[in-house]
Amino acid sequence: MVSQSELIKEARENGMELLPLDKDTYELFFGPQHMATENFSIILKMDGHRVVKAIANPGFLHRGFEKLAELRPWYTNIALLLRICVPEPDVPEMIYSMAVDELMGWEVPERAQWIRTTVLEMARVSAYLFWIMGLSFKLGVYTAGQWAAAYRERFMALFEELTGARVYHIYTIPGGVRRDIPGDKWLRQLKDTVEYIKSKLPDFDNLVFENYITHRRMEGIGVMDKKFALAEGVTGPNLRATGVPYDVRRMDPYLLYPELDFEVPVLKEGDALARALIRRYELEQDLYILEQLLEMGPPSGPYKVQDPRLKNLPRFKVPAGDAFAHVESTKGDFGAYVVSTGGNKPYRVQIRGPSIAHGIRVLEQLLVGARIADVPVILMSLDNCPPDIDR
Amino acid sequence: MTEVKWEREQAIVQKILEKAPYAEGKVRRERRIEFKVPADRIRDFLMTLKENNFELMLQITVVDWLKEGEYELIYQMWSITHRTHAMVRTRIPRDLDKARMPTVKDIYPVAETYERDAHDFYGVYFEGNEKMEMPWILDDAEQGLFPHRKDFDMLAYVKRKYKILDRFDENKDNYVI
Repeated sequence: MVSQSELIKEARENGMELLPLDKDTYELFFGPQHMATENFSIILKMDGHRVVKAIANPGFLHRGFEKLAELRPWYTNIALLLRICVPEPDVPEMIYSMAVDELMGWEVPERAQWIRTTVLEMARVSAYLFWIMGLSFKLGVYTAGQWAAAYRERFMALFEELTGARVYHIYTIPGGVRRDIPGDKWLRQLKDTVEYIKSKLPDFDNLVFENYITHRRMEGIGVMDKKFALAEGVTGPNLRATGVPYDVRRMDPYLLYPELDFEVPVLKEGDALARALIRRYELEQDLYILEQLLEMGPPSGPYKVQDPRLKNLPRFKVPAGDAFAHVESTKGDFGAYVVSTGGNKPYRVQIRGPSIAHGIRVLEQLLVGARIADVPVILMSLDNCPPDIDR
Repeated sequence: MTEVKWEREQAIVQKILEKAPYAEGKVRRERRIEFKVPADRIRDFLMTLKENNFELMLQITVVDWLKEGEYELIYQMWSITHRTHAMVRTRIPRDLDKARMPTVKDIYPVAETYERDAHDFYGVYFEGNEKMEMPWILDDAEQGLFPHRKDFDMLAYVKRKYKILDRFDENKDNYVI
């Protein structure tokens, strides 16, 4: 019988590196292929079923968007940058377009503003439905997840009619939107869909948000307080769950949001359950905003700016300067910083993904002490979007 | 926008410049202000900003100005109290051995992540950030490869690394990967 120390010695002599673990702890590689981590990898040091230490290990989705954006003409970047966050692809195209609008000095026409606001809210609703799907799979309530996916499909169909594409829309462009809304029939369909999903919210409440299992699994898990969240740069629903009413739509108003009536839900607990409930309230608010927009109706006029510089898109040039634009996404404060030197390509584009704040350091700290079964729940309650981090 | 509407922003800039006379500040537009700070005073300045209710650090951006031979570092800050975005700009030399900055992770802990990002892609070294040497997004073991630098030849790198691309025509005009 060979003793353990002899085995280790032999392994070292053969060039193998063994991790210096004591006998009580072991290392667990969580993700990136595991469904519960959404292409994100975490290296966990475990003691039994408790997490002792967590190291976020990003990079599995990295495609170098920011570098690629420097090599492409201004307009073609839309088709590239929207791939940054898959559940909500309208947000990256929107912030990039808004930053370019600012550099061009364009005031986007009213009709385009209405369409842009509607698209953003539709994106928010479908992203929240996608998130409910993820959460309920992680909690084991598969029925609700399949409902959410099916309801999201209705939005996909509406997006397809509006933009020609289901997931990656490439619809918002600098100066407005790519084409006009298909007509009154589409508006009626959107109204029906909004009403339909609103009528289904009590089902989600019964099955997920008021479920005893959900409360047992999420209450008091992954708690963070206000001070910690602010210092770590957490934004969006995760910050609002700690009691800070920070919403970009209210704080730095853009598009039609100053004219719209909506609440910014705030909870104080800061645990996984509070984060989930905030998202549930926001889903309701977003549906309410869509109702208001539909009641307002799209104003008449052009759907993009009438500018002779738009005649030749490959040679389209943007005046030198820099601009920062940000919007509220379901993950948090999503921003784009764009630098132009006057050429037909951007000099520098940097996307401020909200997940980079709550997906690395915050996650590493919240996971300590959690049970292994809580890891996916905490990850999902933070609504981490790995391509945001990897870009 | 009229000048009157920017009074609030002017007041914020004024208040911060009083405490930090080494900086230059101006108002860009409504809810957007910007400061220019020498690189060695960046810690003092961010400390001042934090005392003046700039709670969130949104991003650290590096812009590679190849012709000037400089990196521009932009600390993008957001104040929930003032509802204002502040850009704090500073310039450092572009040479890899001189591109060094003090870390600000003790002032804004989230800066640790952005500093790692800036180190990985541009080679800026943040002194005092112990995670500098830890592997981040890039898993390439080649030393001194900072792919976001403007003089990084992406095509040559890809060809060297992944030989399969040899069959592509090299003399194509405006080659875009």
